[in-house]
Amino acid sequence: MSQRLGRVRLLLVCLAVSLALGLAAAIPNTASAKVKIVVASHYGQGQKEYLLPYFEEYMKLHPDVEITYQEITFADYLQTVMTSRVAGKAPDIYHLYSLWGVQMVGNGALDRPPASIQKMVRQSFVPSSVEAVTMNGQIWGIPTEIDNYMLVYNKRLLKEAGFNGPPRTWDELLKIAKACTKRNAEGKIVQAGFALERGWDSAVVHPWMALLYAQGGSLFSKDFSRATFNGPQGVKALEQEVALFKEGATDPTVSVWDFPTGTIAMTIMAPWYKSTLQKAMKDRFTDVGVAPIPAGPAGNKSVQYTFYWAVDSKSKVKKEAWAFLQWLNEQHPGQSSPMGNFLTKLGAIPSGKNDIAAHKAELGDAFMEPFVNALKYSVPEPNVVQGQEIKTSLMNHILEAFYQKVTPKQALDAAAKEINAILAENY
Amino acid sequence: MWPAAVGNPISPTKRHRLDQRHWAPYAFLAPAGLFAMIFFFVPVLFSLYLTFTDWNPLSSPRWIGLKNYKYIFTLDPYFYQTLTNTFVFAFGSVLLGTAISLLLSFAVTRIKGKALWRTLYWLPMVTNVVAISYMWTYLLDAVYGLVNQGLALLGIAGPDWLSSPSTAMLSVIIVSVWAGLGGNILIFSAGLEGIDESLYEAARVDGASVWQEFRHITIPLLRPTLLFVLVTGFIGGLSNFALIMVMTGGGPMQATNVVANYMYQVAFQNLRMGRASAMAYVLFVIIMIITLVQLRVFKRGGVESY
Repeated sequence: MSQRLGRVRLLLVCLAVSLALGLAAAIPNTASAKVKIVVASHYGQGQKEYLLPYFEEYMKLHPDVEITYQEITFADYLQTVMTSRVAGKAPDIYHLYSLWGVQMVGNGALDRPPASIQKMVRQSFVPSSVEAVTMNGQIWGIPTEIDNYMLVYNKRLLKEAGFNGPPRTWDELLKIAKACTKRNAEGKIVQAGFALERGWDSAVVHPWMALLYAQGGSLFSKDFSRATFNGPQGVKALEQEVALFKEGATDPTVSVWDFPTGTIAMTIMAPWYKSTLQKAMKDRFTDVGVAPIPAGPAGNKSVQYTFYWAVDSKSKVKKEAWAFLQWLNEQHPGQSSPMGNFLTKLGAIPSGKNDIAAHKAELGDAFMEPFVNALKYSVPEPNVVQGQEIKTSLMNHILEAFYQKVTPKQALDAAAKEINAILAENY
Repeated sequence: MWPAAVGNPISPTKRHRLDQRHWAPYAFLAPAGLFAMIFFFVPVLFSLYLTFTDWNPLSSPRWIGLKNYKYIFTLDPYFYQTLTNTFVFAFGSVLLGTAISLLLSFAVTRIKGKALWRTLYWLPMVTNVVAISYMWTYLLDAVYGLVNQGLALLGIAGPDWLSSPSTAMLSVIIVSVWAGLGGNILIFSAGLEGIDESLYEAARVDGASVWQEFRHITIPLLRPTLLFVLVTGFIGGLSNFALIMVMTGGGPMQATNVVANYMYQVAFQNLRMGRASAMAYVLFVIIMIITLVQLRVFKRGGVESY
């Protein structure tokens, strides 16, 4: 009997202890309670070191706020945040590639920014970047990094081939590319006149899009109900690229990533490549020149994509998250925002007008200035549902034309058929 | 003898112990069962449900019946190509890998320094598949790769291994065979050790050549081992993902895109979880059919189990 009573007592004590521990965990410790904000971004090693000091600074200014940085590689970003949302562990703040925004907004994953932030974005940011964060007339975030595309060339290689400046027309480009190409005894290209990437959708599709716009073409009809890129302008743009393969100025073994080795004469690239080139080329970075992509009937054109900060619709700290983002990006005449400082350190173009003005020196160097000037004629990547799937489909068919398995017209018609089916699901 | 068998009455204490004995195995199995339930059965059933839905993880699944299966079999522009690639990769790597490893194991068991050779062949097995894939990507670089540099010394112009659609699949098969050689050799060596040496001695007395020994003694007696290597090899080959993902990403021009890689693209790039799950089930059924056929073929050949 006494043994049984002892067991009952022990059980009661255990229950009491468990209850006390549970209550202690459930009741917030008001003395040390902090607002915790999780920020997820693709900025990694060699980049986040410039961003995190601003997080520290904000935490010093706001001791009641604790910011945790979650680094996710660009390639895994969307699937990681989607999975974390399913698990109920989504970050509070996202740094999104503009192409992903439509899906996030369409599924109610993003919070509408406060009116003050919407006003700041409309008034103080580059119009094309505002367009990138606008869906159905509503602003959904704060634009950060703008990337557009320009012709990046190696001055030394062009000079060795007898050319003193970059090409102004595609015919000139073809001529220079051929002259700069060198092959080894086995017939392999050891110095390429031009590099077109093959395994990465943006690097395949964006340069072609720039040429499409220069030809006066468009990707889709205005209501996104059908693809229009397989018209004569799109075909001409792809024929221009395919000519580089046909003329032997490039081949599928040539990669954009070999540019720092000094074996690529020209390519079409975005400004974020600057820091990579500087680090890899060191003194030889002075060989790098930047020029507009040769103009077409519609004049000079480029294509542009944007990143932006956004807040998760299910975040429990939305107000604090937006307050932090406002501090990080707020535009004041004659001053740079912390984000503006960070982006220019990376060699990227900020989208705040005051940030661009405040960093004239960094953005005015020989590499960056042409990119900044090209913002005037850069066309934002359209905010279309299933944008990533559409881009992958385009890449697959453009590559078929690069490999000369089909003609440019056949490639784009096949892509249009696939993409029209995707558009029909959503528009 | 069991007490109940002789009709002895069972005391309450003994009955309690018997009850305990009855439940004990289940109690011991419970943690593993719970683990399997949470991390295997529930996801498997959930993915089966997903095959009948349109779902991107940002929204709730929407029931669409058999539309995913219909799309895969009638409209998907890449499914049949990736399925063909999967078969080419699996059959190529398994048949080539099994043949080479069987011959090498046969040779290794007949030369000095067995342990050293087995260790050398085993080394790729203890290396991470991502590291192997990157290493081979560099080795097979069309211009600067060691393979083509070596071929150039012999006056041969090496192909564009990974960047040409006509050689990319062969390249990944070669790497897959190389990477899986060690495991197969180890299994075949164990099988070969189990064959009675007197059989070989008797054959030699009768004047049999090495090839005849291999053909008429080794192969028949190694059938259970062969079955194991082929079945596990095909399952691995048909569901291969990491090697191809790292080496080619499925390219160039879909030349190496296998179903597992395509499923990943459909699920995580195109955000079509339902369609990707349906592909996974189609692949599962294919793997099951091939495995059953293999078991039937070997059963006819006298192998009951392995």
